[in-house]
Amino acid sequence: MSEPAARVLLLLASNSYKAEDFLGAVGDLALRVTVGSDHEAALASEAPGSTLALDFDDPEASLDRIVAYHETEPIDAIVAAEDEGALLAARAAAALALRHNPPAAVEAARYKDRARERLSAAGLLSPPFRSYPARADPERVAAAGPIPCVVKPVSLSASRGVIRADGEAELAAAFRRCREILAAAREEHPGLHPERILVEGFVPGAEVALEGLLSGGDLRPLAILDKPDPLEGPYFEETLFVTPSRLPAEDRAEVVRTTERAARALGLREGPVHAELRINERGVWPIELAPRSIGGLCSRLFRYRSGVALEELILRHALGRSLPDPDQELAAAVLMLPTPRAGTLREVANLEAAAAVPGIEDVVISVPKGSEVVPLPEGHRYLGFLFARGETPEEVEAALRRAHEALEIVIE
Amino acid sequence: MIQFSDEAREHILRFLEEDSAADLSVRLRVANPSPVNPQYEMLLIEPHERESTDEVQDADGFEVVIDPESARILEGTRIDWVDSLQGGGFQFDNPNIKPLGSEPLTGPLADRVERVITERINPSVAMHGGAVSLVDIRDNVVYLRMSGGCQGCGMASVTLTQGIKQVLHDAVPEIVDVRDVTDHAAGEDPYYSAAK
Repeated sequence: MSEPAARVLLLLASNSYKAEDFLGAVGDLALRVTVGSDHEAALASEAPGSTLALDFDDPEASLDRIVAYHETEPIDAIVAAEDEGALLAARAAAALALRHNPPAAVEAARYKDRARERLSAAGLLSPPFRSYPARADPERVAAAGPIPCVVKPVSLSASRGVIRADGEAELAAAFRRCREILAAAREEHPGLHPERILVEGFVPGAEVALEGLLSGGDLRPLAILDKPDPLEGPYFEETLFVTPSRLPAEDRAEVVRTTERAARALGLREGPVHAELRINERGVWPIELAPRSIGGLCSRLFRYRSGVALEELILRHALGRSLPDPDQELAAAVLMLPTPRAGTLREVANLEAAAAVPGIEDVVISVPKGSEVVPLPEGHRYLGFLFARGETPEEVEAALRRAHEALEIVIE
Repeated sequence: MIQFSDEAREHILRFLEEDSAADLSVRLRVANPSPVNPQYEMLLIEPHERESTDEVQDADGFEVVIDPESARILEGTRIDWVDSLQGGGFQFDNPNIKPLGSEPLTGPLADRVERVITERINPSVAMHGGAVSLVDIRDNVVYLRMSGGCQGCGMASVTLTQGIKQVLHDAVPEIVDVRDVTDHAAGEDPYYSAAK
């Protein structure tokens, strides 16, 4: 008699972009899956055991639920798709003796101030920084500097609440605004977002991202992604990711080395990592390193010659299975469609024209018509994603820019 | 045999005239035979682009070249030209690939699936403002469409794989798969919206 398929507990936030891609990979691997999420699934009562309602704000109670579930439905791996479930995944996997990151390492990576402390202590290039309670006096914060600086809520992702300040008055204003953004996020998830704000020196230079997999602390780089749009502030809206990177080989090697050192400094050992780094004349500066894959739908830009998706690599790694060669087939890029202004999204028009641009592979609008949309730093969702594939990074970047120009975004 | 409407033939002849290459023929190919979104290709090709295994059909003014597998699927197809705001294009009426939901669903299997949707699935998804409807059943594969709060919902794939599939497989074991054919991009009131 054949053994039952392995069971994966997949932790998904209810506002996840990644459900479809991870569940598709689960299907490709013929795994059994239980979805743990911060919502009661619509058919939970009709299909008991296939989903697990968790509270990412209450990791203790959620941990107990996972352990109890494991007694009747043994779990072979736990994977968190986003930041929200990462710490719970680490703690639950530790409790069940499954492959995992040390929870303390995930916690350090999760909170930007703790991450900065560890990275700095490990001797990695780090700007001066200070961490404050959100209730701190903005004028005192401003007087302490540094200038120029970037203000960040310690736990929010996707550049939400991240604001550059070039003078004391700007810093005080940025701190106040950041505090309001954090308060709004805490209304939804008070347990996930501590009331702390990081002020760190602005690091000039080109920004890149690295997507990789850690195994026993060793980094397997999957891609280095250029971000060709300048990220100088005052807000840090990420738009383009292009791979392969056009950095010189020695810079690419240093990006990999720095990411691996940063992961070690944080204590991360297993699973996906998404790192953001800046490069200037002094070297490679780790900005953030998250124990998860790239955000939004961006992972769809990876297409390996072996035919597997990034999500399949992550699941295989979590189960301790062999990994196919992650050899990217062609140059690829994604453009996260920014929100140009606040209002009601009436339409994203000319989709056919954008899709018809040579090299464009897909155009996905992910915000429903009629939705209220807000740009950064308050906003936290992109209007959609454009994907391009081609022979060279220049070609795919140009295709995305042309396709973006073709779109007409109607916000009233 | 593939048939061309007069208008389709006129357009093809015009394209052939406008191309400076000599001895062009028309290659037809079924790029995707899915009943959800069948896709066809029509290309002008030069003689050296023909394959020895291709089937060739005289279409009264031009030759049509088709690979054997596409020829099998295209047998009996009528190709028309349809004008639209985007400028018009060829339309394939293929009797071998009937679009999903193009024929009334009858029979005991459809009745059983309908009953499960009505009695077990829809009361639950209605609590999220959603609904599920049966579109078609082909070779024991069930095709569904979601609406209301399910259409465009970030958790729609969870509802499908962790709920609907399991309920339908339990109640109607001969079902081999359940597929969602919803246009989620058109959803205007999803229960959960993706963010971050």
